[in-house]
Amino acid sequence: MKKILFTIVLFSVFSCSQDILDKEPVSSFSAQGFYKTTSDAQAGVYGIYDAVQSTFRLNFAYWGEGRADAVNTNHSGDPLVLQQNTLSKTINSARWNSIYETISRANYAIKYIPLVSDGEFGLQLVGQARALRALSYFYAVRIWGDVPLITEPYESGEQDLFVERTNKEEVLDQIVADLQFAAENTRDSYGGGKDRILITKGSANALLTKVYMLRNEYENAIESADKVLNNSLYSLMSISDWSRIFTTGYTNESIFEVGYDETQTNSLRVLYALGSDSDYFPSDKFRNSFEDGDLRKNLIYDTSEEQPRKIWKFFGEGFDDESADPSSNNIVLIRLADIILLKAEALNKLGETEKALELLNVIRERAGLPELDEAEATAMYGDVESAILHERLIELSFEGHRWFDLVRTGRAIDVMQPINGLNDEGNLVWPIHEDALNRNPNLEQNSFYQ
Amino acid sequence: MNQNSKKYPKRFARSFRLLPKVVLPVLLMCFISVTAIAQEATIFGKITDANTGEPLLGVNVILKGTSNGVSSDMEGNYRINGVSPGDVLTFSFLGFESEEVVVGAQQEINVSLEPVADELDELVIVGYGRKKKRNLTGSIASVGSEEIAESNQQDPVSILQGRAAGVQVTSNSGAPGGAITIRVRGNSSLNSGNDPLYVVDGVPIESNSLSSLNGTENFGLNPLSDINPGDIESIEILKDAASTAIYGSRAANGVVMITTKRGKEGKARIDVNAFTGVSEISRKLSVLNASQYREVIIDSYKNMDNPVEPTYAVLDSLSPRNNGDVDWQDEVLRVAPQYKVDFSVRGGSENIKYAWSSSFLNQDGIILNSNYKRVTSRLNVDFNATDKLKFGQSLSYTNGINNRINAGGSGNLSVVRELLIRPPSYSMYLPDGSLNGYQWGKRNPVGLAELATHLNKTNRIIGNEYVEYEFTEGLKIRSNLNLDYISMKEDEFLPSTLDYRPGYNSGAVRSINNLTWGNETYVTYDNQFDEIHNLSALTGLSFQKWKYERTGLDGMFFSSDNIRTLNGAGTISNQDVNIITEHSMLSYFGRVSYDYKGKYLAEVNLRADGSSRFGRDNRFGYFPSASVGWRFSDEEFLKNNRTVNDAKLRLSVGQTGNEAIGNYTSQGEFAVGANYLDNSGATPTVMPNSGLTWETTTQYNAGLDVALWKNRVSFSADVYLKQTDDLLYNVPIPRTTGFSYITQNIGSIENKGVEFALNSRNMVGDFQWDTNFNISSNRNVVTDLPDELLTNGYIQNGKYHILKEGLPIGTFYGWKFNGVYARDEDNVNGVTYGALGQQFKGGDPIWDDVNGDNIINGDDRQIIGDATPDFFGGITNNFSYKNFSLGVFFQFSYGNDIYSEINHQRNSVVRYNNLSTDALNRWREQGDVTNFPKPVRDDPLNSDSRIQSRWVEDGSYIKLKNVNLRYQFPTELIDHLGLARLDAYITGSNLITWTHYTGFDPDVNSYSGLRAGVDEGSYPQSRTLIFGLNFGF
Repeated sequence: MKKILFTIVLFSVFSCSQDILDKEPVSSFSAQGFYKTTSDAQAGVYGIYDAVQSTFRLNFAYWGEGRADAVNTNHSGDPLVLQQNTLSKTINSARWNSIYETISRANYAIKYIPLVSDGEFGLQLVGQARALRALSYFYAVRIWGDVPLITEPYESGEQDLFVERTNKEEVLDQIVADLQFAAENTRDSYGGGKDRILITKGSANALLTKVYMLRNEYENAIESADKVLNNSLYSLMSISDWSRIFTTGYTNESIFEVGYDETQTNSLRVLYALGSDSDYFPSDKFRNSFEDGDLRKNLIYDTSEEQPRKIWKFFGEGFDDESADPSSNNIVLIRLADIILLKAEALNKLGETEKALELLNVIRERAGLPELDEAEATAMYGDVESAILHERLIELSFEGHRWFDLVRTGRAIDVMQPINGLNDEGNLVWPIHEDALNRNPNLEQNSFYQ
Repeated sequence: MNQNSKKYPKRFARSFRLLPKVVLPVLLMCFISVTAIAQEATIFGKITDANTGEPLLGVNVILKGTSNGVSSDMEGNYRINGVSPGDVLTFSFLGFESEEVVVGAQQEINVSLEPVADELDELVIVGYGRKKKRNLTGSIASVGSEEIAESNQQDPVSILQGRAAGVQVTSNSGAPGGAITIRVRGNSSLNSGNDPLYVVDGVPIESNSLSSLNGTENFGLNPLSDINPGDIESIEILKDAASTAIYGSRAANGVVMITTKRGKEGKARIDVNAFTGVSEISRKLSVLNASQYREVIIDSYKNMDNPVEPTYAVLDSLSPRNNGDVDWQDEVLRVAPQYKVDFSVRGGSENIKYAWSSSFLNQDGIILNSNYKRVTSRLNVDFNATDKLKFGQSLSYTNGINNRINAGGSGNLSVVRELLIRPPSYSMYLPDGSLNGYQWGKRNPVGLAELATHLNKTNRIIGNEYVEYEFTEGLKIRSNLNLDYISMKEDEFLPSTLDYRPGYNSGAVRSINNLTWGNETYVTYDNQFDEIHNLSALTGLSFQKWKYERTGLDGMFFSSDNIRTLNGAGTISNQDVNIITEHSMLSYFGRVSYDYKGKYLAEVNLRADGSSRFGRDNRFGYFPSASVGWRFSDEEFLKNNRTVNDAKLRLSVGQTGNEAIGNYTSQGEFAVGANYLDNSGATPTVMPNSGLTWETTTQYNAGLDVALWKNRVSFSADVYLKQTDDLLYNVPIPRTTGFSYITQNIGSIENKGVEFALNSRNMVGDFQWDTNFNISSNRNVVTDLPDELLTNGYIQNGKYHILKEGLPIGTFYGWKFNGVYARDEDNVNGVTYGALGQQFKGGDPIWDDVNGDNIINGDDRQIIGDATPDFFGGITNNFSYKNFSLGVFFQFSYGNDIYSEINHQRNSVVRYNNLSTDALNRWREQGDVTNFPKPVRDDPLNSDSRIQSRWVEDGSYIKLKNVNLRYQFPTELIDHLGLARLDAYITGSNLITWTHYTGFDPDVNSYSGLRAGVDEGSYPQSRTLIFGLNFGF
């Protein structure tokens, strides 16, 4: 009897030590428990790419094509709103959530990786993190203008949560600094396909080129573009392999593409080729802007259809839009042709028209088009810059560049006014989403949308 | 002598007449029984109520120490054989004092039984013990086994609907085993749990739905369905702090104590209860037919600003995809059978008492293919090892197989939604004979019900093993080992027939293990001093641990829709491979109760709870309570009052807590699985907050219990005030932080209310009539929200609700619909859609322009409804006459609004949904006066998409919830059949509902938690009729 009692009491007392209240997460890390090892550091950086996947899954097209002249749509929601230029603070593409999730994850990595790994391994990881942060801000400033600039991770509610918008130029300074760091510290190559889906020195320089072009810093743009052009990782595909840039991915022309697969899918199918109801099909204007003999035309959409209802550039000629294939292609954000044409544009701006035309003709030649000299370019397109921009329209069609090109070169209103009545400079940015305004009283809406 | 000689033959004759009835069996028994001896005799007599003189039916008469027993018939007569002089007969009957009689020489023994002096001497279950109802100082509602049997509900929570004051029960789903929301004295938390703690035979059990089927929002199961109501002796709901504080940090939402039946000393009592029945939809809704639907679509094109030719393929009535004319309700809803068998054996000797039961339920749902099968088995044993040492257990096992269908929730995977909104013209089959599963955004509800798999298989063990040792009279130690183990497996499959992408199918498998176990050890002391001071005390400690483990695989591109196991998947996505979370608590608790002659009562409780969920410095919370009672009927001024026979005033105050937040929220979390292709990644997902602590609820309660006219009428009234502070809330923060919220202790909520419960024995005697009535009213108000959380003075709470200081939690917020402009000119003020938008024209809705700026925008939103009822309750009338008894139960809720999202969906032209017949009254041309706006394609003025009062309906109702007619077969027949009892009954449930609500049923709640009163199209309630037999040996 006594034994039983003794056992009961012992069991109760023994099991009731306060240690039982210490429960660390089993299937995840506590906030204090992560960034302890180099493998944590690596995982933290891959986690940033995971957010990048979310950012561009759908929006690369809404942001880069939705408001421009190459696409048309029947699809209500964002596609129609963007195309008709009736943007409001409730549209989905006005949300910046995944952009700032990317930035937050990068900020964690940038703060903690140096504490875990201070050698080259750590530096190149921080380089990738900073480049991805820069990539995110680069889209943010082009979409909303001034945005909150946040470079530290949030680890407690005590920090300043309600950050105001920072002047766009200041954000761009940070972007340049981040990319310069990345161009210094990331690796030339990680070997194999990873060179296309991770940030390398090459991709950092390519991004820099795009940023400098936005800031009209043409010398800098040319300098960084040259670093890309001279990088042995990159070369133009032949026209027979041109489609592979998108269909298979991981080609030598690719500088940075966001990786997707059968389970980590994107919305390319929904956007461009899904049944009879995809978001976008090529606009009449786009279809009529091809020069005769352009070998790319049939690779971009089904020219046999009177009213093409899909874009098969990303899935290959003859793609059956009724197929059940998941949307698993990579989304190519930057490729060599883009940088070549940007350099051409920069050269032209600096008066080096010949050199500019040389680069333009590299791209034209691949498409089976005759070389242009200045006179021909001017005759056909008004001036050399217009010829280059036209080339970008065709070559980089639907890849998410057109709207940004129009805004960067100051042509957005000219081009879009006849289509949807766009007529106000203040309308070139997106509104800040209602949800963001609700969550942060210190944010002020873009004046056009107030 | 002469007389005598005359008498003898008569007696002889009588004996002869009795021969076949009595003597023959006795003779037989002599042969059979070796113990039978010659002097045994037959004893008979009549049993009556000592108070009324009425005969008592069904009194157990047992020859003590044997299994020989009979029961009295309708006239109160009994007859028992094989009794010898000196034997003892025990007469026992529920509600009466038992009586023992030593048999002498006489054969006829008439007995009159005294009614149990006072129902207040009944014991009521409280935390860690039981207490006489008489001595309660807290507020407790109790539901007994008879009410449970009458209700014909298959889970213990539904039973409480309308039967317990202060307890509000709403159905999330009418599916078998579907989820239910219960609120004890209102919502006291913003977004941590609002469910009460459930304690089954001393085991705090898991009461959250663990079902994790994909894509099935608002699709929970009711975990209490694992408990067979047939096993339940009583359900007590502890409401005020005096009763609940002993459960400390989990008790802020009340405690539901479920006690199962245990064995009693005596002959084994074998009971069988079997019923079979059917259910059907309680109300069908009217929808348009194919041609009416096409007209609406044509109108919607015509009404565009720049009308275009209708291109929508639905207009082509010759297309084989589009030539149907179906009311999908007829295709999907059915008359569904159900049956159940309960079997139990209960009994025991002085030292071992047992109760074994088993039951099988097979219940079809009214939607095709939905079915719930449940097997339960229970063994409760108590045995005395010595005079001082007792052991025992309560152990139950449940196996449930729930073939579910996706109902409720938004999206076009919901059968209920599709059966109302899939256009009538969509064909059922395609020309090749295959099912037309997916067409233009709408799935075929028949396909969804029959071809998609949502299978839940649950195994559950709930057990309590105890040992109790009595040191001396009144001083005991008891230790419980508690366990609740749930093992769940779920299968899911969506065939390609139902997907818009040809060949695209997907499936998932989940395995969930949830174990909570712990130990409670406590010492109790009860004593009486000088016959006037009663003292009892309790002190103890406990720990409890929880471990949740989920393993899952998702797959897609199965080679065939017929192979649904994951080996057939072309692609396995492993996002949900394996997750474990844990949680633990450590507690100390104590209680002291004292009363002076039962007249002055007092009690204090204290519990200290430590939880792993909170930061190291905030781990322990202390939850005290104190209560007093005054039986003023024992005072001189009432002592001899003939009307008032008992009256007691109760007052209590105390604190309880709520720790229902994520296991690791305070520590912050870095989640793995944020992979980039094949490279594993990790990301911060929860922002840490090491200062997190409990929500604390302070509750004040005052109660009055009065019994009148010798207990013919008794009532209890309670008023309470509950203030909850330090609310755990996921505070939205700017997304620029990378997080969407941070969990903080913020703000306060107040609930105050009145509860009234009345029991009345209106008529006694041959014809009996009892009435039980209860009504409750709860006022919920958010009293404090931090300013930084507010946008325009409130917090948007999901799509339909806001949280705002001074308003209740279920407040709907949106635009007020004031009708429809009959003609363009009626918009005299030129009200426009947004600042730059166009003017509203004839056929457009008239929105209430709150600020009078003639612009309809976000600033014109206002409060458009409130989901909380003004009052709710129930009334039961029980009648009995001779062998018949009839129970009639009404249940009601008044003053609650419902946001009928399903009515929005079924009037939404924009989505090309089919419409309700209300659309026949739509605005068609200038001058039409109607309340149904013109349908316009693409909804340019947001007439359809905005949250609006048009969909807010009065959800008040009164329901004839239950009618139970029972016939008790006469004793002769029962004897003849060799039975101890035989009843037949018919029960009808959910028979009639009086309401203005236009959806399926006003008892609806698509979201549990804070977003009360929304009807997204839940699984409809059914009307049920069953026939049952109840017999015992």
